[in-house]
Amino acid sequence: MGAWDHRENYVREGKPSYLDERRFTQVGRSVPRVDGPAKAKGEAVYTADMVLPGMVYGKIKRCTEYAHANIKKIDCSKALALPGVLAVLTGDEAPNKWGIVPASANETALAVGKVRFYGEGVAAVAAIDEETAEAACDLIEVEYEPLPVLLDPFESMARAGEVNIHENAPDNILHKGDQIYGDVDKAFAKCEYILEKEFKTGRPQHGYIEPMSAVASYDTQSGQLHLWASSQVPHYLHRQMSVVLEMPMSKIRVTLPAVGGGFGGKGEAAASEFVACLLSRKIGRPVKVTFERADVFYTSKGRHPCHMKWKIGLDKDGYIQAVDFDNTLDKGAYAGWGVVVMFYTASMVHLPYKVPNARTHVRSVYTNKPTTGAMRGLGGVQPRFAMECMLDELAEMMGISPYELKMKNAIESGYTAINNMYVPHTEYKKCLQTAVEKSGYLEKHGKLPFGKGIGLAGGYYISGTAYTLYQSYKPHTSVTLKVDTEGGVTLLCAAAEIGQGCNTVMAQMAAEALGVHYEDVHVQTGDTEIGSFDLGSFASRLTYASGYAINEAAKEINFKLKAMAGGLLGCRADQLIIKDRMIYSMYEPKFKIEWATVVQKYVNSVGALSAVGHFSPPRRKGIDIITGNRIQGANIGHSPTFGFSCQIHEVEVDVETGRVYVKKVTEAGDCGTAVNPMSVDGQVEGSIMFNMGAALYEDMKFDANGKHLNPNFHDYKCPTFMEMPDMDTNIVESYDPTAPFGVKETGEGAVQPTFPAIANAIYDAIGVRFYQVPITPEMILKALKEKKEKEAGCGCGCSCGA
Amino acid sequence: MKQLICLEINGREYDVPVSPRDVLSDVLRKKVGLTGTKKGCGMGDCGACTVLVEGKPVLSCITLAIACNGKKVTTVEGLTLPDGQLNPLQAAFVNHGAIQCGFCTPGMLMSASGLLNRTPKPTLYDIKHEMSGNICRCTGFKRIIEAIEAASETMTEGVK
Amino acid sequence: MFMNEFEYLAPKTPGEAYELVSRLGSKAKILAGGTDLVILMKDKILSPEYLIDITNIEEFAGISYEPGKGMVIGATTKNADVQYSEIVKEKYYALAYAAGEIGSSQVRHMGTIGGNSCNASPSGETPTPLVALGAKVVVSSAAGDREMPLEDFITGVRRIDLKEGEILTKFILPEPAPKSASRYAYMGARDANEIDCVNMAVNIELEADNQTVKNVRLVMGSVFVRPLVSAAVPALLNGQKFSDGLVEKAAEAAQGEAKPITDIRASEEYRYTIVGVLARRLLKEAFAAAQEV
Repeated sequence: MGAWDHRENYVREGKPSYLDERRFTQVGRSVPRVDGPAKAKGEAVYTADMVLPGMVYGKIKRCTEYAHANIKKIDCSKALALPGVLAVLTGDEAPNKWGIVPASANETALAVGKVRFYGEGVAAVAAIDEETAEAACDLIEVEYEPLPVLLDPFESMARAGEVNIHENAPDNILHKGDQIYGDVDKAFAKCEYILEKEFKTGRPQHGYIEPMSAVASYDTQSGQLHLWASSQVPHYLHRQMSVVLEMPMSKIRVTLPAVGGGFGGKGEAAASEFVACLLSRKIGRPVKVTFERADVFYTSKGRHPCHMKWKIGLDKDGYIQAVDFDNTLDKGAYAGWGVVVMFYTASMVHLPYKVPNARTHVRSVYTNKPTTGAMRGLGGVQPRFAMECMLDELAEMMGISPYELKMKNAIESGYTAINNMYVPHTEYKKCLQTAVEKSGYLEKHGKLPFGKGIGLAGGYYISGTAYTLYQSYKPHTSVTLKVDTEGGVTLLCAAAEIGQGCNTVMAQMAAEALGVHYEDVHVQTGDTEIGSFDLGSFASRLTYASGYAINEAAKEINFKLKAMAGGLLGCRADQLIIKDRMIYSMYEPKFKIEWATVVQKYVNSVGALSAVGHFSPPRRKGIDIITGNRIQGANIGHSPTFGFSCQIHEVEVDVETGRVYVKKVTEAGDCGTAVNPMSVDGQVEGSIMFNMGAALYEDMKFDANGKHLNPNFHDYKCPTFMEMPDMDTNIVESYDPTAPFGVKETGEGAVQPTFPAIANAIYDAIGVRFYQVPITPEMILKALKEKKEKEAGCGCGCSCGA
Repeated sequence: MKQLICLEINGREYDVPVSPRDVLSDVLRKKVGLTGTKKGCGMGDCGACTVLVEGKPVLSCITLAIACNGKKVTTVEGLTLPDGQLNPLQAAFVNHGAIQCGFCTPGMLMSASGLLNRTPKPTLYDIKHEMSGNICRCTGFKRIIEAIEAASETMTEGVK
Repeated sequence: MFMNEFEYLAPKTPGEAYELVSRLGSKAKILAGGTDLVILMKDKILSPEYLIDITNIEEFAGISYEPGKGMVIGATTKNADVQYSEIVKEKYYALAYAAGEIGSSQVRHMGTIGGNSCNASPSGETPTPLVALGAKVVVSSAAGDREMPLEDFITGVRRIDLKEGEILTKFILPEPAPKSASRYAYMGARDANEIDCVNMAVNIELEADNQTVKNVRLVMGSVFVRPLVSAAVPALLNGQKFSDGLVEKAAEAAQGEAKPITDIRASEEYRYTIVGVLARRLLKEAFAAAQEV
């Protein structure tokens, strides 16, 4: 991937070099992030850094007495009387329900009538400084009528008759569904190897270092509201503010300053945003609301704990014949992303292996705990944990290597799953092969000394989809490209740069599409008024979606420039190509002209040069074209393409203390074309550490009353430098011909294999299988003790379990 | 009762009226207007607020500003060279992909500066051990370590 | 998140400090590094009217060692300085190591060795090896000095034997015995920034034959309301030839003495187990190190 040399002559797959769309000069460069220097200088402005003239501070009063209670009375009089307090706000002033999934919207800006989780906001104040705001909150008196607390989804379902969390869900169930493909019972009857296990996942949260923050400025004269927020979804904020404040969207503008991480946790809307807007409108002054870390924990919409029952059957040759999967998700207090995550877990069983028969029953159940939501790799991590561990165990039952079993069942490009998910392109097998080769898995697996182990797991994730939330074909991402002789190229898109690097890759893709250099492109993102519409940074959709839109916009611009260049050069416009800031004839080298010259001529003779490109989600593959019947799960998981990866973890278990040390991780990922390989590696490395934390140390804990036991970084243990293993990440050579620039996703697929790879490695190390995460030292010691007792018990010194 | 204190921040003297209960991070961010120093948790658990006081790394969110009266404070803004160029450590972070969302970056840079002040040629263990008070959720730490190692090499070139 | 309004005082001499402490009594708290105090105040668990900052008093900081006599460490010496001190590493290894495992680099540069003991948290890092090394503390006031073993100074969870008007000013460590070595270990869920669920220090002294244990001190932290000095381990090992079998017995004995609780970090049962594991490992490690001296 070097500089463009127009004389380079080769033929790839029947295409001459000058027509090879994979011959990139900007895409594929590991350029440092465009926003890196500002961040390194401390000049990047995050929401909490902002100061506006006349700005005051808002703070939310939270219920820290109960996890479930009726609100009998809120008395704000003492707070209002405190000098420096400008306004107070209670939930009933903004009762409109909002929700990221419109059909199940049941959240309010502040609690209305009832508190459903510990730490839920019940009122807010605006004051001249933060100290006064905090003191004012302490003066707000709330009278509660406590209600019984439901902390476990099974308890919620069992006691639904006596304790009801939402009036419109008498059974305490948000939603449930069944997806049945083929005939699993018949298939199981023919299986040689059947395994049934129950799995459980814990409750981690995102841990982004920047707490939620919002600055809202309502202009009393024009009625315009401007909201700055730390968010992943400018559009959704735009929409939700409109719903809750009962204002038209045309009067609201959302701008993202620099955002300090999201991982899905800033992918809805937060009370900080609603409260800042409501207070600002009330007092006609800008209001800043920044969460304390405890507030982030109380309201964090972390991963759904899943209680899963699995049954997988293989035939005598080791091919998967049937998968039966039952999932009870702990929804927490409100609906949020619930329906989507629930159905995603169902969809996740169909890849990356061939599954001819599948049956899933899923249900999402309310509890009095913080609402769960979208967390990196949503809906995939939990079933992936179970499936990759079960296949590891089934391989052992069969007497073959897990690698062999997975290679056998792995899908290939062009595969259509039984639920109509279509995979245009995959290098999953190459991922498995590469990771196995580089780690020496086959030489080590089953052969390391007791206490040392190596485990393998694969995974995949969707890429480019977003039909699920906005069920329409309207473009989900639009990109405006503006070309002018003064500013060069400007890319305008209301997309969210949250640290994942989208600004940089969009600049690279735009530069590639327009034939200029990455350094020539300015990127303006995150503003709903300046940039064209984008749905948000979640579900790994942005690179694919924006790439598609960029191509479309660039095509229009290139057409115009080529026409002008053709005229200037005296040759056919359609024989010209644009690369490396030059416009060339692909057939006759004497016809060439500088790109900037053509732009200038165009602007002078025709006018301003800009174009908009759009990306609409692909046709719902779940619709039968002839009958119009919906195929089950149609809305969920039908992604245009998918990323794949494999992780191999080497662990050392200290069998006396139970501590698990992950020493080395070898990873191989298929992200299609890596627009910025350094960025991809960074995302993968971050993904590995992210889920390693949830596999071994991270868990939100509650007492019997639903009160948080560790709402801080002190006792909620994120991995530190000391826990970092050696990481060998590899980008597998890949190109998805159906994708813009051949790109697929990374950053969410890369979290999928971590739980099972660690669990499988622990099994290899100490011969104990864990069906639950996080795997704590106490669990390890307990399991080792039980294993020892079992072996001693049968007297023959073996593990026959007699 | 506010008291006027003098802080030498990044080589410049600032006279700041503070209440004894004001913590250094709030004073830097709100009174002096240097928002490069970040607040991630306010309780000393994440390291995002790290600054140097007399060249030593401290958590400014649990440091009283008044206790720093007359002391030299260095924040991330003080690392940038006078002509606006990145210093070797900042440049290494940018070039090695050690910055993603950037929120932990100022704290990381200050901790690393403190480390390199004391130990110009740290071992891998030194880096891991002395940087472990700074949490990053985006990068997985690997590139931050590489950046510190690269900066150490650049900064000790020719120095025994 | 915001502390109460208080008055900040920064005495420059010991005399000034004693006067303030005695005059203001329980209305004041002593501020050194603040890494424990400020957090307690931000959480509104403590709301003192006055803070007396003693870090500007030269006499209260510093490490000085005199061969044959031992070491004196000023109470406001930063933990990082203890961690990096070559002489502490050489003579009192367990202390240097433990100081280096407190919290994070930042916390070590802010916090003081005196604060680590005065905070009297059962999981405190440096009290454990200090007690194992036979450290004494000096508490001073306008009336003069009082000296006592550190294990008598820490009386319970966040309770110390400090009377009104007194400030902890010094740690006195005896000259290490010839053929002795000290080692420290801890266990937590992570390897950094951790609140230990168990920590432990061993100080072992051998006879000239390099096999017989002349004296051993094993101290456990985080499994009792204060540093727990094992009586059983020296009873078993003193005067005996070191052996794996004896170490096993000693480890079991230490387990028997420990009184851990179950909390969010670990269960009682787990802590018992870890006491045994650490005792076994530390005794062997310290023994091997003492043999080299």
